[in-house]
Amino acid sequence: MKSVRFANFGVRGRIGDTISPEMLIDFSCAFGTFADGGRVLLGRDTRSSSPMLHASVLAGLLSTGCEVLDFGVCPAPILQFSVERLKAAGAVSISGGHTRMGYNALTLIGPNGAYLEPVGGEVVLDIYHARDFRRCAWDRQGVRQTAGDFLDPYLSALAALLDVDAIRRAGFTVVIDPVNGSACRYLNPFAERLGIKLVPINGDESGYLAHDPEPRPRNAKQVSALIGYVKGDIGFVLSSDAGRVALVCENGETASEEFVFPVIARHALSRRPGVLVTNCCTSRMVDDVAARMGTRVVKTPVGQAFIMAALADEDGVIGGEGNGSVGLPAFSRAFDGFLAIGLILEALAKSGRRASELVAELPRYHIVKRQIYGEPHRCYRALETMQVDTQWADGGHVDLTDGLRVDWDDGWLHLRASQTEPMIRIISESKSRQSAADRALAAARRLESLV
Amino acid sequence: MKELLKVGVSGVRGVVGESLTPQITASFARAFAVFVGQGRVVVGRDTRPSGRAIEAAVIAGLQSAGCTPMLAGVVPTPTLCMLVPALGARGGIAITASHNPAQWNALKFIGAEGQFLTPHRAAELYDIYHQGDAALMPEDGLPESETVQEPMALHTKRITDYVDTQAIRKKAFRVAVDCCNGVGAVHTRAFLERLGCNVVACFEAPTGAFEREPEPLPERLGALSSLVRSHACDVGFAQDPDGDRLAVVDERGQPIGEDATVALAIQQVLDAHAKGPVGVNLSTSRCVQVVAEQRGVAFFRTRIGEINVVETMLSAGAVAGGEGTGGVIIPAIHPCRDSYAAMAVILELMTMTESTVSTLRAGIPNFFLVKDKLVVSPQNVASILRFVRREYEGKRINLMDGVYVELEDSWIHVRPSNTEPVLRISAEAPSKEQAARLMQQVRAVVETAIAKR
Repeated sequence: MKSVRFANFGVRGRIGDTISPEMLIDFSCAFGTFADGGRVLLGRDTRSSSPMLHASVLAGLLSTGCEVLDFGVCPAPILQFSVERLKAAGAVSISGGHTRMGYNALTLIGPNGAYLEPVGGEVVLDIYHARDFRRCAWDRQGVRQTAGDFLDPYLSALAALLDVDAIRRAGFTVVIDPVNGSACRYLNPFAERLGIKLVPINGDESGYLAHDPEPRPRNAKQVSALIGYVKGDIGFVLSSDAGRVALVCENGETASEEFVFPVIARHALSRRPGVLVTNCCTSRMVDDVAARMGTRVVKTPVGQAFIMAALADEDGVIGGEGNGSVGLPAFSRAFDGFLAIGLILEALAKSGRRASELVAELPRYHIVKRQIYGEPHRCYRALETMQVDTQWADGGHVDLTDGLRVDWDDGWLHLRASQTEPMIRIISESKSRQSAADRALAAARRLESLV
Repeated sequence: MKELLKVGVSGVRGVVGESLTPQITASFARAFAVFVGQGRVVVGRDTRPSGRAIEAAVIAGLQSAGCTPMLAGVVPTPTLCMLVPALGARGGIAITASHNPAQWNALKFIGAEGQFLTPHRAAELYDIYHQGDAALMPEDGLPESETVQEPMALHTKRITDYVDTQAIRKKAFRVAVDCCNGVGAVHTRAFLERLGCNVVACFEAPTGAFEREPEPLPERLGALSSLVRSHACDVGFAQDPDGDRLAVVDERGQPIGEDATVALAIQQVLDAHAKGPVGVNLSTSRCVQVVAEQRGVAFFRTRIGEINVVETMLSAGAVAGGEGTGGVIIPAIHPCRDSYAAMAVILELMTMTESTVSTLRAGIPNFFLVKDKLVVSPQNVASILRFVRREYEGKRINLMDGVYVELEDSWIHVRPSNTEPVLRISAEAPSKEQAARLMQQVRAVVETAIAKR
């Protein structure tokens, strides 16, 4: 099956298959038309297909009369942070993010630095489908300029947000694995600003990612193997766009990506209380942390766009997801791996605890994840059937915010059709390993019979 | 009427923001990448503001099919042609609409040997484009683009090695240049200074917003003429936006005519460098033929279109040639039209003969060319041409491009336009009156043919 997906905030697909320069130019022309020829920031990651995507987007934006500020290789969160500061109409971020080599994506950023909200994204898609682009005469073409120093304003704002003195005094040794992605060239200045001793691995912009770039335990083995030798205090693995992060404890334990958000939320809410936003399939650790801090939790469908929109609607102070994503609206409207690392280091410095201790303090749940493969139309129909007849939910509370979620006292189950692959994802979490596994298996059997 | 995209032997041409879009540009670049195969492709452009978006689209199209774009930036078209074989590239793409007005732009495709694609090869390229399934490479086959350092160095060296640079430098000529806000605005001053010239220039901002009509016709060279007079220059040179065509103004500020530019350059090649055949296209003035015949070398004419001239010249072993519109071709430097080679050779001629440009011009016989056109419906063109040909039965007729009739000391040419539904008629003779009379005759023949339809 060919792989491409258009969303309100961008397009993603496989290189050499669905992602052609013509389609990318059309899509950028649609965004340039939507931005009405205004100022647009452009940045990319290090994947070997990214220069091709970059050239395509540049062509589309220039032909629609946009003023392009070119950031070159730039992590998505730094690009997003810069949009408001440079009074741009938006930005285009080129990165496959957490998806593996061979895939790539354009993400459209709105004027506030967040992923383009659905109301704007729908207009972009309408323009794309009608191919009704802004056409500029020869003397009205856009111009490309190299962006000036965008790193210093970003790092200065980050340093102002954090207690840098405390982090510096702690004298941390930190292993960071940017998976040869867009963060490579920014790690040294970041480490200098925070006063940490950096041990970088996979910091080569070779065009090839060092491993599967999804930040999760199985992709953190290199950091885990190294951290004892270098006497590291903590280790991190970034996604290729530096939007997400996974953490590795000083003892080599690779914490599940589900721990990143609750660890940070606990610390951040103690600094500044307020509404927390997360998606409907994030670990209950987050609900428990929020309850302990006396904070309201707002749940949204899965994805950065929804979290940031809800943070704006609810005046929230922190948002994040169980995949290693965290954002603070007081800083920017982005999921930001640098920010996440900074906050965790601050939490370590202020609490005087070890990384493994911070993780151990969180309530323990057991998560089981399964997939059921099937044709997309069959997957959707199966999910519909399960929504209508909810007897199988056994008295649990059913929620349809995104896919199908059932909550019981001791756990929850979430079923959702994947946006990127022909399958249904099952997530089951419970206090007991056995009940988590049993519920996942029961759901899987039922879905298999329907698919 | 909206200007259509023109896809032909000289490339893909259209109006920016109308027919020439980045999407179409990327598709043609992708087809070109498939046509030449994975490897380097040199990309250059003139100064038109639309060139940046088109360049980006070309880069994307090339990369998507696995070619490495070698970016030469703003360079003359002949420079780009030379870079292709020198860099071991599979081909090149020139982003320029040459002498067309600013709203136009175009892609011109260059083969691995550094020449524009022949009609047959261009047809193959367009087949790949129309088949519409030019392969996309997976991610690990996608190369990053590279920058060509000092792209003009090779071109300058070829020319300064060819002419007697030391002798020209000693003369320290005062030269005025009209760069037409094109590639010359970036490169010509430095080039002429390398030849020891003191340079004054007009239209030297590389903006692509042409302050002079881009085709360097005599009536458009007023600013250059004034510059020559006010600075007491030895010669004035005017380029088109991509630096392949040259017009010359003498030391009194008088344009010598584009055909005379070609005649003087060919004269110098034959006298100082190599005695050998000379080839020009059908519509080039007879004065070039006289220059060749006076020196006892073979002379031939070719179809209209630069690649047709080049192909024929190479197969005939010609040492010089070109197009009467100021396009000088010297294969020993590189087989393409080159205003830089033309400037150097004319400066060398001035050096060796120690003559002024006006004196040199006086040595070239005068011919007078008149041009006209008649509207005809395209389906009648063939029968009209057949009728004209029969009318001139027994004369020396050349049928490679319409009907060309060579007379005693004059010629006539009737051919269908490539771009409009008209027949173009030209007649050249040693005097204005003769030329006008000749034109009257031909017009009468063509009108009779039309009436018979």
